[in-house]
Amino acid sequence: MITKQLLEQIEGEASVYFDIQNEKVAFATVSFPHFRGMESILEGKNALDSLVITPRVCGICGHAHLMATVRALENAYKNGGYEINLTQKSQKIREFTLLMEMIQNHFKWLYMVIIPELSKLTTLNLENRPLKGAFAASIAAKAIALFGGQWPHSSYMVPGGVTADPTHIELLQAQNYLQELIMFFEKESLGFSLETFLSFESCKEFGGFDSDIVSLEAALMDAQMHQKGFAYDRFFVMGEHGFSKVAKVKSTRTFGVESKYITTQAAYAPQAQSFAKNALYKNAYYETGPLARLMAKGRPFVKNMHRRYKDSAYSRVMARVYEIASMLSYVQNLLKDIEITQDSVTPLVDIKKISAEGVGVVEAPRGPLVHRVKIEDGIIKKYEIITPTQFNIGSSSLEKPTPVQMAMQGLSKEDALFIFRTFDVCSVCTTH
Amino acid sequence: MARITKEERRDGIISVALKLFSEKGFYITTIPDIAQKVGMSVGNFYNYFKSKDILAKELVLYISEYIGSRIREINEQDISTEEKIYEIVSMYFNMAQERSEMIEYFLRVYLSNREVFREGCEGMICVSAFVTEMMIFFDEGVESGDLHDQDFFSAFGLFMGYLGGMVFLFGEKILPEPLENYKESISLNIYNALKKR
Amino acid sequence: MHLKKDKKLTILWLQGLTCNGNTHSFLNLSSLSLLLSKFEILHFPAMQTVYTFESISECKLSCDILIFEGTYDPLMKRNNVFLKDILQHYAKGAKYIIAAGSCASFGGMFKASSPERNSGILFNEKEESGPLTEYKEKIINLSGCPIHPEWMGFTLSMLVNKQKVFLDELHRPLELYSSLAHHGCSRNEYFEWKVDAKGFGLKEGCLFYEQGCRAPMTHSSCNKILWNEVSSKTRIGTPCFGCTEPDFPRSALFTTKTNMSIPQDVPLGVSKRSYLTMAGVAKTFHVKRLEGKLIDYKTTS
Repeated sequence: MITKQLLEQIEGEASVYFDIQNEKVAFATVSFPHFRGMESILEGKNALDSLVITPRVCGICGHAHLMATVRALENAYKNGGYEINLTQKSQKIREFTLLMEMIQNHFKWLYMVIIPELSKLTTLNLENRPLKGAFAASIAAKAIALFGGQWPHSSYMVPGGVTADPTHIELLQAQNYLQELIMFFEKESLGFSLETFLSFESCKEFGGFDSDIVSLEAALMDAQMHQKGFAYDRFFVMGEHGFSKVAKVKSTRTFGVESKYITTQAAYAPQAQSFAKNALYKNAYYETGPLARLMAKGRPFVKNMHRRYKDSAYSRVMARVYEIASMLSYVQNLLKDIEITQDSVTPLVDIKKISAEGVGVVEAPRGPLVHRVKIEDGIIKKYEIITPTQFNIGSSSLEKPTPVQMAMQGLSKEDALFIFRTFDVCSVCTTH
Repeated sequence: MARITKEERRDGIISVALKLFSEKGFYITTIPDIAQKVGMSVGNFYNYFKSKDILAKELVLYISEYIGSRIREINEQDISTEEKIYEIVSMYFNMAQERSEMIEYFLRVYLSNREVFREGCEGMICVSAFVTEMMIFFDEGVESGDLHDQDFFSAFGLFMGYLGGMVFLFGEKILPEPLENYKESISLNIYNALKKR
Repeated sequence: MHLKKDKKLTILWLQGLTCNGNTHSFLNLSSLSLLLSKFEILHFPAMQTVYTFESISECKLSCDILIFEGTYDPLMKRNNVFLKDILQHYAKGAKYIIAAGSCASFGGMFKASSPERNSGILFNEKEESGPLTEYKEKIINLSGCPIHPEWMGFTLSMLVNKQKVFLDELHRPLELYSSLAHHGCSRNEYFEWKVDAKGFGLKEGCLFYEQGCRAPMTHSSCNKILWNEVSSKTRIGTPCFGCTEPDFPRSALFTTKTNMSIPQDVPLGVSKRSYLTMAGVAKTFHVKRLEGKLIDYKTTS
């Protein structure tokens, strides 16, 4: 018997259709019922309009879309014969704001989704304070706004660089907000310092501390999440940044990847119409996001965790928490290195002179975000968007399940719903 | 006997000054010359215009307002862009004949003695009443789809340079036919040059 | 004598076709927990609240304040129930209805998804033909893409204090939307003297003449109530895109439409003649201070 479960608290709408047998999920499909047609809205528009339109695919990761768009446009310039050299300054500012968006996303996911959902599955005490996540996110958003003007929905990246021309005032203010956020994270979430956390080689070192994260880890164990939620144990990182390593990872071995091997197919959702498409790499399913990125980088904390618990729900959750710390540390150094006197924008010819195709890939909070554009005399002829949730939360048939489908199999419905959340679904992105 | 108003007095001075400056030249014409022709004392003259330089600039403003309001009337008529071009050309050629001192002053004093106008008439500020109306004409012409979008000065130079050149030839008595006879062909040339391709 | 405490106003946040940007912007409100404590939140998609959406979609409840985010699509279903039925049910019983964002106010970004049928809840662009026209007296439009959290904070606080919110003809609070995005821009002096920015990436120069800045034609308080309490688009060199107006999104953004070098649109309420005359005068005079960079890091050491 198939039961439908509407998912609450996600951007957009999604339903999971469970086939329960003997109180366990035999199989589940996912359907995303809404569609906005962003790709066709973009057709016929002036190329630069995409910088304003694509962030509106999503309210929580719009900034990642902005960067994917500008990269796609710059790639089109390159393929059209105009090499673009971004200054270090504009590259670092772009990376800074991208990462701050990622950090705010993870904070919200942790406090507004994961902790409340997990507290339903454990008898251990897990303090449920969702507004902590919103507060932390708002500080990260301030830091973004210093360069991007506002968050959400800034369009401050243009082909050739960024529109912002900051002074040391903005840099110092950003450093201050970052410090404030780190101190908040240390005091309110970790219970120990950021450096200490990053020096840990495993969660065993949590012993003796008391905090949200320590309680989270204990609750995950209590709910047996280290033995549940396994998928294909293969990962994939595509966005090229200072903080990421582009690779695919299969049982801890890394390999090269190319964006041309990413394809999509219609989702399999027999119970209801779904506008989502599944994304595959070389025709196989891969998991993307924080766990993937940390596995590709080979961070000891994550490698050790993976050695014991593979790609369980536990690993997925703790990896994302670890990623917050790792990114906070990374951006601290990033800010210090920004050289104000460099140009913000490298001048380019008018985009009306460009007739070419371009691809832009970034690491969004949930994994690689791919934008493919075809421009003719500065007008968009075709635009394709592939979002990370399409990799993680596709819906396919029993013979070849997607990562989330595999992860939910054989579990109780309650556990399965939590497992679903550990992938951090963004349904508006998926069904753009 | 009706008293002449201050306004009428001022207009009288302007009219005389324009004639004298364009006939005799800016430097040769003196304030006493103008005052005498108007029929007032030099002292009284200075109540209206404080100096020859100030008079020179006021004259440009006067001409510019005059042409500007004529063009505005044309702009506000509910006729096609092509017809507006004809009306502007016609108005300008009529002025060249009926108020020739205005066009003459503009060409032979304003454009030819730039040093007089360097301070107080920088750039195009003294002719802004007329330039603004031409901008409105061009803006509406492109907006309505009749004219080809291009740089303002390219279009302005074509239009005004052409008219100024024709009036100059007329002033030199080089044109074999009366100025009216050229209205149609000039308007058509301007329209063909500026219209949407 | 025991004084009966006033029951808290109830809020229901409902979504149409949306990116969720207004929700996430709202979560940035610095006084968020204080504000939320003044209300009973029946449903808000970002958090676990009294009721799940499943219960809400059964249409058995009522709310005092209905907040609608997103474009209205009459064929849209949520949890297999027609959104239009859910919307009509809660709109009827609500004391106030707030359209959160330009999609809900005018159709906005996602009107383009199905332009023939999508609209805002009261307005379809400028036309008053949305699904809730019969409730127009109780509708407040907070247009913007997304809304600034303070705009929502302000409106909700005014309602809880039982104060009248004065609205413009598009139902937007005058206190937020009577000024222009242009007011308070750090580049104002460049606008005054017509020193136009050439390209992007510099703090000097006005973005109106070439980069398509819509701030002089856009009603908002973006340069008065700063975004995230720190900045605004124009301050960091991105032109305003006019997102609070019914014609958002426009086309050919980042560029100014000119007819023979004359801007097609001039500041609100200013006649083209006046603007051109002023601009002409300003362009004539070169203010040396405004021509170079404000800070020359290379020579100052």
